[in-house]
Amino acid sequence: MLKHTIMATATAVALAMAAPASAETLRFAGTTPALTMDPHATNDFVTTAIFRQVYDSVVGLSLDMELVPGLATSWEYLGDNTWRFHIREGVTFHDGQPLTAEDVAFSIMRQKDSRFYTSLFGDIAEATAVDDLTVDVVSNNPDPILPRKMSRMFVMSRAWLEANDSLEIPDLGAEGAEGFTVRNANGTGPMTLTEHDPSVRTSFVRNEDYWGDFPGNVDEAVYSPIGSGPTRVAALLSGEVQLIIDLPLQDVERLENTDGFRVEQEPQLLFMQLEMDGTRDVALDTWTNDGEPITDNPFRDVRVRQAIAQAVDADLIVDRVMRGDARVVGIPSVPGFGGYQADLDQPWGYDPDAARALLAEAGYPDGFITQLNCPLERYVNTEEICRAVAGMLDRVGIEVRVNGMVWPEFARMLVNGPASSFHLIGNGTNSFDSQDTFTATMMTRDPDANEGFFNWALYSNETVDLVSRELPVTFDEARREELYRMGMEAARDTISAVLLHQPMITWGMQDTVEAPIRGDATLTLQNVTIGE
Amino acid sequence: MLSILVQRSLHAVLVILVVSVLAFLLTSLVGDPVASILGLQATPEDRAILAERLRLDEPWIVRYLSFLGGAIQGEFGISYAAQRPVGDLLLERIPATMELAFSALILSLAIGIPLGVFAAVYRDSWVSSALMVGSIVGVSLPTFVVGILLIFLFSVHLGWLPSFGRGETVDIGWWSTGLLTWSGLKALIMPALSLAISQVALIARLVRAEMLEVLQTDYVRFARARGLAPRKINLSHALRNTLIPIITVSGIQLGFLVAFAIVAEAVFQWPGLGLLFLQALGSTDLPVIAAFLMLAAFFFSAINIVVDLLYAVADPRLRVKVALGST
Repeated sequence: MLKHTIMATATAVALAMAAPASAETLRFAGTTPALTMDPHATNDFVTTAIFRQVYDSVVGLSLDMELVPGLATSWEYLGDNTWRFHIREGVTFHDGQPLTAEDVAFSIMRQKDSRFYTSLFGDIAEATAVDDLTVDVVSNNPDPILPRKMSRMFVMSRAWLEANDSLEIPDLGAEGAEGFTVRNANGTGPMTLTEHDPSVRTSFVRNEDYWGDFPGNVDEAVYSPIGSGPTRVAALLSGEVQLIIDLPLQDVERLENTDGFRVEQEPQLLFMQLEMDGTRDVALDTWTNDGEPITDNPFRDVRVRQAIAQAVDADLIVDRVMRGDARVVGIPSVPGFGGYQADLDQPWGYDPDAARALLAEAGYPDGFITQLNCPLERYVNTEEICRAVAGMLDRVGIEVRVNGMVWPEFARMLVNGPASSFHLIGNGTNSFDSQDTFTATMMTRDPDANEGFFNWALYSNETVDLVSRELPVTFDEARREELYRMGMEAARDTISAVLLHQPMITWGMQDTVEAPIRGDATLTLQNVTIGE
Repeated sequence: MLSILVQRSLHAVLVILVVSVLAFLLTSLVGDPVASILGLQATPEDRAILAERLRLDEPWIVRYLSFLGGAIQGEFGISYAAQRPVGDLLLERIPATMELAFSALILSLAIGIPLGVFAAVYRDSWVSSALMVGSIVGVSLPTFVVGILLIFLFSVHLGWLPSFGRGETVDIGWWSTGLLTWSGLKALIMPALSLAISQVALIARLVRAEMLEVLQTDYVRFARARGLAPRKINLSHALRNTLIPIITVSGIQLGFLVAFAIVAEAVFQWPGLGLLFLQALGSTDLPVIAAFLMLAAFFFSAINIVVDLLYAVADPRLRVKVALGST
C-alpha cells in the first residue's frame, strides 16, 4: 500500500516535471526578413505574419480562418453603407494605455489611406468613434464582406503614434530619416516586440496582459530570416532553430524520416492556374504550325480552352512536380474562402483524346504554337510546372515555348500591359472571400472602373459579370450563395482558366514543438507549445 | 609618388562615373519598382501616384543627375523595401562583408603561401604532386557547394559551428564587429573558409610557379655556392622576390572575395552587403542596387590604387621608373 502511494507520488512528481516548463523560447526561421513593423506600411505576407504577433486585427481569425471576435467583440450592419463594431472592453496596449474606440477609428483611417490597402479599404469613407466602445464605419458603397476584410485591419495606439511623430505612415521616396514605426511597435497582441533588426532577427516576449486565450507556453520567440533553403533545413537539423517556415519540398521526405523531427502541412489559400486570352482578336506570341504569326485567337474559342484543360493532367503535376504536396482544384475557390462550394469542386479530368477531338472541331486539328509566360519565383516549383504543361500540351499538338521570367519582369509585363495571352499565375484573394475572385480576377477588365483589375488574360463572361456586380451589394446570405454558385458554374463551363492545384504550406519542426498552421501561413505564437 | 596618386585617383573617378551611368541604366532594366512595391493588387491610380512620388516618370538623365548630386553628398535616398535611408543600410552591412573578406584573404594567404613554398622546394616529392592535384579540386569547387558541405559536416553532424548568421556582435562606434565574441568568431569560420578555399589553391599554385622560377636565378645559385643554409635561401632570398606578383593578386583577390562574398553570404545568411544586394535585386529596390554598384566601383578603384602604391614600395625599380616618367 505504502509502496503504491510512493509510486503514485513519484509518478505525479514526474508528470508535474514533464508538464510544459515555464520559460520556453521558440527560435524559428523563415525565408525573408520582416520588412517593417508598421502594419499599415506593407502588404508583404511574410511581414504581415510576423507583425500579427504584436498587432491585433479588428476582427479576429480562428485557426480555420473563420471570423471570430477580435478587438471587436461583435458587429452589425446598420444600413446606409454603415457597419457598427463593438470594441472589447479592458484591452491595453503594450505600453499600458487602454484601447479606445478612438484608437480603432484612427487606425482605420490611417490604414485605409495606405497605398498598400486601397484595393481592400479604399472604399471606406469615414470611421468614427460613437462612444468609448463603438465605432461606425461608413463606406461609399454597400460592402457586405467588410467584416471579413477587417481581419486585415490592424489597430495602433493613436497617443503612441502622436508621441513618436508617426501619425502619418512612413512614406517611400521621402527624404530624411527612418520612420519610428519601422522598428518599434506598440500593439495589443499576444507578444510584445523587443527587438527588430530586419537583417538579423525579430524578437518577442509574451504579453502577460493579453486579452485573449494563450493556450501555448512560449515566453520568448526569435525569428531569423534564412534565405537559402538547405541552410534553413540545416539550422533545423542542428537544433539552432526549432521550427522552419517554408520547408523545401525536396527535403520533406528526408525530414519525415529523421528522428526527432516532423513535417506539418496545410493547404495554402492560393491556387495555381493557367490563364488564357479571352478577348483579343489576335493572340500574342502565338503562331501557326508553320511558324507564321497567327491571325486569330484560338484561346477565345471555348473548345480550345476545354481542350487545354483536358490535356493538362493536374493530378500528375501534383504527384510528380509537387511531390504530392498540393491539392487539385476544380473551381476558382478553395476551402477557407467565403463562398467556397464543395459539391461544385470537380476538376475537368485528364482526357487527351477528347482534347484532340475538341481542337479538331475548333479548326486546329494540327494544333498551333504558343508561348507560356512563366514566373520563375514567388510560387512553388513554377518552372517545373510550366515544363510539365508544355510536355502535356505537346501530346495534343499544341507546341508550347516556355518563357521563364523573374518576378519583377513578369509583374511588369502584367501591370503595364497586360501583355500576355497565356501564362501561369497564382490566384489568391485580398479578403479571403470568393467575391474578390469574381470582381478582381474574373470580371471583364476595366481598370478605370476598378473592375477585373487582375483579370490579366482578359477573360470575359456575362454571367460572371452579373455575379460580380450583384455580389458586392447583396447582404442576403441565401442570395449570395446562389450568386456564388452561378458564377462558379459559369466559370467552370467556360474555363475561366485551367485550374491546377492549391500548394501546401510546409513547415518542419522538432517533434516536441506543437505549432498549428493557419491558412494564411501565420504562425500564431500564442498557440505554440514546446514540450520536453 | 604623389603624382602616381593623383593620376590614379583621376582614373578612379572616371571609372566610378562610368559605372554610375551603367548602374543607373541597368536599374531601369531589372523590373518595375512600382509593381514590386505595391504588389499586383494596386489600382492604376496608386501606381501613377507612387511613380510620380519616386520620380520614375521623369527622363532618366534628370533622375541620374539628381542621383549623382545626392551620391556626392552621401545621400542615396530611401530603400523601397526596408523604408530606411540607403546610406544607413550600407554602413550597417559594410563591417560584416569586410570582416568576412579580410578573414578569407588572410586565411588564403596563410595557408596558400606555405603550401606553395613547400611544393616548390620539394617539387619532386609525392606530397607536392598530391597538393597540386588537390588544388585543382579546390579551384573547381563552387563556393556554395563548399559552404553547404561545411554546414552539413560542422553544424548538422558535429554540432560545432552555427549554420547561419554572424553570432553576437560588439559595436565600436558605427562598426559592428563579430571578432570580439566567441560566438562571432565561431560564426565567421565556415563562411571565411568556404570563400578562402578556391583562393588557397590559386595562391599556392602561383607561389609555387614564381618560386620555381626564382630558384633557377643566378643569385640563388650564388647564394647556394656561398654555402648559405637552404632555409635562409628559400625563405629570405627566394620567397621575398616571389611576393610582388602575390601582392597584385591579393589585391585583385580582395575585390574578388568581396564580390564572391555574395554567394557565401547567401549560403550562410551572413548579414553583409552581398545579401542586401541580392534581396534588393529580388524586390527591385533601385536605390539600394544603384548605391551598391557605386560602392563596388569605388572599392575596386581604391584597391587598384593601393596595389599600385604597394608596388612602388615593394620594388624600388618601379619608383625610379615612375619618377623618370613623370618628369
